[in-house]
Amino acid sequence: MKDDIKILEVLEYLPKHIGAMIAKLPEKILMDAEEIRLRLAKPLCVSGSNAELFIAANGYAVSAAEEAYFVSEDDLKRALQLTCNYSLYSVEEELRNGFITVSGGHRVGVCGRTVVDGGKVKTLKDISYMNFRVAKQVLGASDKVSGYLLQPPDSIYNTLIISPPQCGKTTLLRDLVRRLSSGSKDIPFKGMKISLVDERSEIAACSMGIPRNDVGIRTDVLDGCPKAVGIIMVIRSMSPEIVATDEIGRSEDADAITAAVNAGVKVITTIHGSNITDFLNKQDLKRIQKGVFERYVVLSRKKGVGTLETVLDGEFNALYERSKEHL
Amino acid sequence: MMLKIVGGLLVISASGLLGMVYSYKLSLRYRELANLRRLMQMLETEVTYGATPLPAALFSVSKKAEGPIGSFFCSISRCLSDRSFYTVREAWNDSAESILTQSSLKRTDIDLIKSFGSILGCSDREDQKKHFQLFYIQLSHQEDAAMEEIKRSAKMYRSLGFLLGIAVFVVLA
Repeated sequence: MKDDIKILEVLEYLPKHIGAMIAKLPEKILMDAEEIRLRLAKPLCVSGSNAELFIAANGYAVSAAEEAYFVSEDDLKRALQLTCNYSLYSVEEELRNGFITVSGGHRVGVCGRTVVDGGKVKTLKDISYMNFRVAKQVLGASDKVSGYLLQPPDSIYNTLIISPPQCGKTTLLRDLVRRLSSGSKDIPFKGMKISLVDERSEIAACSMGIPRNDVGIRTDVLDGCPKAVGIIMVIRSMSPEIVATDEIGRSEDADAITAAVNAGVKVITTIHGSNITDFLNKQDLKRIQKGVFERYVVLSRKKGVGTLETVLDGEFNALYERSKEHL
Repeated sequence: MMLKIVGGLLVISASGLLGMVYSYKLSLRYRELANLRRLMQMLETEVTYGATPLPAALFSVSKKAEGPIGSFFCSISRCLSDRSFYTVREAWNDSAESILTQSSLKRTDIDLIKSFGSILGCSDREDQKKHFQLFYIQLSHQEDAAMEEIKRSAKMYRSLGFLLGIAVFVVLA
């Protein structure tokens, strides 16, 4: 049972007394918890899919913020040291992006004062906000969707997953990759060669080059590489049938995706947004708004994380709509 | 008479030996400083080129040396891996006090080494490199001082030992 509670792995990166407070919470809350938030001189907070709890110094969840344990500057400094394994220089690149991936695929978001050099973020200092996000691999998250994406007998449609943050976009992508790579006996599908460009190490959760999550048997993971460069690299080097990547948004990403599609490689990727219009409004992605993707999957958390809202085809015709299902 | 001569020889050789031991200790300090420089250079490579996290970097460096400096690095690495300290500075200072004070290093050397603990791991690679360079400059001051001391005093201690022995013998005889 204890092994199922992923949040316990994260506690290792918190100062001992804070870890002890959180470990005292009831198992049910821990199972559900998704984030632990440390904010300077603000209450310690644990949040899950349906609740936000303040934690008191004795380890009890309290509803009133005043009764909670207030995070000190020292706590944050220590948590940062533990998170980066006492070596800020080893997470230089990651700090620039605002988060550090720790072993187990958990992600620690940091916020503080930015040092800017020539318009680019050089580093972050005076870290005063930290967000420990618990990574949970949900095997079977793609059960409902995958049927819409397969192109019998042995190919798939270029797919874009559209979802607001925290709605299970990465979880869905990870499970899709696992399923498409390993193949499946229930729906006769033989499995395809996938190159996973994992810029932020959160899909495969590689640590020292070894994926900590199950991403399938035919998957090659390019860990920590910028998407635009990585996509071109893997197409040349690994001869993939599918390229999968997370959170596109810049125009270089659009160029790389166009290059992949033109090379005859299938693409699965994700983007932030809450409906198809959000995607069509993104100026940087003009090039890939028409004729590239053949399936759009829209997620929300209306019925819990990873609620499948709609599936659209390349012409934006609905193949599935949650709102109509119950009529 | 025979007894007197034997006793005298014993006194002289004992104090002579004392002088030699003392001058040897002086050269030990220099050797340890040189050893420290070598290990710090290895650590610098691990940090600035390899970006290896400190617990691993310190451990791999510590295996390449014997003596107090090696065990000093090894001890910090252990302290950090088992999380007995929250910051590098605390682990570094604690190990310096418990291990380096047993060595031939002087207080000023140890203070210099300790000052580096508050910098290590606390900034990006570029900045770490600068601090390493600064440390080498400060270290070479200590090395120069140690060398100077060897030149000036080592010979003196040796002859002083013998002379003291002879003086004691003369007084007692």
